[in-house]
Amino acid sequence: MSQIIIFGLHGLTYAGLLFLIASGLTIVFGMMRILNFAHASFYMLGAYLSYTLFLKTGHFWVCLIVSPALLFLIGVLVERVLIRKVHSLGLVYDLLLTFGLGYVLGEIVKWIWGTMPLSVKVEGFLAGSLTLLGITYPVYRLFILLVALGIGIGLALILFKTNLGIIIRASVDDSEMCNALGINIPLIFGGVFGFGVALAGFAGVMAGPLLTISTDMANMVLLDAFVVVIVGGLSSLGGAVLASLIIGQLQSFGALLIPEVSMVLIYVLMALVLIFKPSGLLGKKG
Amino acid sequence: MSAQASELMMIKGIHLDCSGLQVLKGVDLRVAKGQRHALIGPNGAGKTTLFHIITGSLTPSMGQILYKGGDITDLTVYDRNRLGIGRSFQITNLFPNLTVFDNVLAGVQACHGLRYNLLRDPRKITEIMEKTEAILEWVNLIHARGQFARELPYGEQRALEIGLSLSTDPELLLLDEPTAGMSREDTRKFISMIDKLTRNLTLIVIEHDMDVVFSLASTISVLHYGTILVSGKPEEVQNDQRVKDAYLGEDE
Amino acid sequence: MKQTFYYTAGGVVLLCLAPFIIGEVYLNLLIEIIIYSLYALSFNILLGYGGLLSFGHSVFLGVGAYVTGIILLRAPDFPFLAVILISGLGTLVLGLGLGSLLLKQTGPAFALLTLAFNGIFATIAIKWKSVTGGDDGICIFRPTINLGAILLDTTDVTVFYYLCLVLIGGLTFLLWRFTKTAMGHTVLLLRENEGRMPFLGYNPALARLILFTLSATVAGIAGSFYMLFFGTVAYNIIGVEMTAIALLMTFIGGVGMFFGPLLGAAFYTYVQNLLSGITNKWPFFMGIIFILMVLYQPKGLIGIFSGLVSRIGSLKRRTSQEPHSGGPIR
Repeated sequence: MSQIIIFGLHGLTYAGLLFLIASGLTIVFGMMRILNFAHASFYMLGAYLSYTLFLKTGHFWVCLIVSPALLFLIGVLVERVLIRKVHSLGLVYDLLLTFGLGYVLGEIVKWIWGTMPLSVKVEGFLAGSLTLLGITYPVYRLFILLVALGIGIGLALILFKTNLGIIIRASVDDSEMCNALGINIPLIFGGVFGFGVALAGFAGVMAGPLLTISTDMANMVLLDAFVVVIVGGLSSLGGAVLASLIIGQLQSFGALLIPEVSMVLIYVLMALVLIFKPSGLLGKKG
Repeated sequence: MSAQASELMMIKGIHLDCSGLQVLKGVDLRVAKGQRHALIGPNGAGKTTLFHIITGSLTPSMGQILYKGGDITDLTVYDRNRLGIGRSFQITNLFPNLTVFDNVLAGVQACHGLRYNLLRDPRKITEIMEKTEAILEWVNLIHARGQFARELPYGEQRALEIGLSLSTDPELLLLDEPTAGMSREDTRKFISMIDKLTRNLTLIVIEHDMDVVFSLASTISVLHYGTILVSGKPEEVQNDQRVKDAYLGEDE
Repeated sequence: MKQTFYYTAGGVVLLCLAPFIIGEVYLNLLIEIIIYSLYALSFNILLGYGGLLSFGHSVFLGVGAYVTGIILLRAPDFPFLAVILISGLGTLVLGLGLGSLLLKQTGPAFALLTLAFNGIFATIAIKWKSVTGGDDGICIFRPTINLGAILLDTTDVTVFYYLCLVLIGGLTFLLWRFTKTAMGHTVLLLRENEGRMPFLGYNPALARLILFTLSATVAGIAGSFYMLFFGTVAYNIIGVEMTAIALLMTFIGGVGMFFGPLLGAAFYTYVQNLLSGITNKWPFFMGIIFILMVLYQPKGLIGIFSGLVSRIGSLKRRTSQEPHSGGPIR
């Protein structure tokens, strides 16, 4: 019984991580209709930056704050200099650009940090385990879960309950009108994109202590994140939550019960969703 | 001639709900063969939406469309086109980086059954080439055949728009505000061109310009906030009190 | 247009004489370029002509290579041509299947899906050890061609070179002819204004599927040649890198122009060979060139080249985005 709970918790933790990664992608696409193929690389950059920061300061908390902040700035810069230029050329070009960017970023990371896997360790309270109701579980995993929950709720609140959220959503729906109303559209777009990138970097920092930091990490977890986005629906945050939960549990129990086939399981799920509901579980068409 | 034989299209009880809003509330329309049918009404009344439903881009929540006696309500857009329904768009909808010639060729080759053919070159088929050139002559674009559609001035783009809609040899042609954005002078020339070209077709035209409507149409239907207010000969419609109150009283 | 013909004819003649002009090392490089050209060509048909951006193109290259490898591993004397054809057939079927599934989405969603499937197939390639050889991959020898009276030793560079030239050249010619057919025209409609197509009697989904399948088949054949040339294949052929290479080559050469990918493949292969001796950061530079091309010169090398020529010579100002659009009489 306790085994099941533990694996259930594993599933939830992984779902939390997946949500952290996927949400940035979903927000940027939902808000700006830009699919940021460099999302993976920003995630990786965030993790690697946290490694260096950890080396310099020895404090995980510093990494958690500074790394995403740096990535926010990078994101804003990228949006200003590159994305804006290409946005007017038509849909394919911004996909190509972000893809090329991701590629180059991957190379830069290899250049600066080399190709050997690195590790970040948490200490103190976070490194321990918690025992509750007879079940012992690593604190850090629970931390991921809580953070993911917090961010999810925070995002929902900001977007749907605050003025800022209304402005952002309106800018996306009808940017010309908002421009006419005096809302600074370029600022908002820059901010949203920067935020999406920062979120990716934040996920990278969070993932560091759990998984090893390597140049492969982008590909590994990201495939699952893509599946989350496809299954959940491209611009739906709720869909990302739902899909993360499903996939998290599938991965966890799949690895437990049918290890050889477990990888294929989520892809079968994706294929099924594609056949029966191509816009994703909670997505809308177009 | 019995009523059924001369009827090309019959629209029965079309309803369309869009996220709770009732856009079309029971539209009935009868289009006779060879008719020059104008569809007028205030902005937002649902005229273009009705076009979408006739061509198949939108599915009605209720109702039926009969064409040449057959029920086409469930047919795809392209199947309807192959049955002879053509359409032009209010906002120019061309292939921007293709030449004027290639734009029209697209429709003509399809009409001749060459849609996905991996072997035959449409430019080597005399019939197709002649038809394409003929259409370009009709819309006075033969001189621009090698220009890219995006390079054309607005008036010529509108002409190409008409040319495209004619390229599939339609029996029923739906024109959505063909003279949108044109000056009075250009409008008159344009309409006279359309008049000549569509002598053998059945026409449904959405128009706001009343001069155009009265010079072109043999029948007028007024769409007023989701239903047909009145449908009949121009004089009847002009003198109908309901129409006067709702629509024609204002200056266009 | 006459100019293109002369350039092409000249190029073909040079290619035929190549084994007598350049040494074996460069001949091998040339074969590599020819094979990559086919791969990039198949990608350009999809992206430049049809406007479909797929990040999973390397799947078809890989499957073509693996099918060839698996067949020749079990039956080393399998006929040369037959192996290539079967690989092509395999990717045709796969393209049809995947296409029907993936093409339900368009634009970014489609691109994302292809990327996801790329990852899936890469994983399958690693995990399905019994068939794909897992991490190690597959190694084979090129089968000799037995034409009854003549025995062609395909391990001879010159022989293999001419085989590639003839076969791939022929396929390239067929593809060029394809761009002139009705379907070749329809594909442009997909790129230019898919929305209008149904109103002209086209089913755009069907058009997309046919295009995708065609592109996949050609990529699969390129994969088969890849396997025959290198003699070895591993799971990284299906990686994102390989797809990136197709993108790079197509863009650097000039997307939407028929000969763009050929130039791009030549440029990429040559520069890669050159730079990889100097620095192992060459992928970075390739990436930068790519980004610059996307931002400033989507017409790629061909754009730059024809731009130069038109400034020197008296080429008409009308450099089109796809070469054969124009009046019927030229």
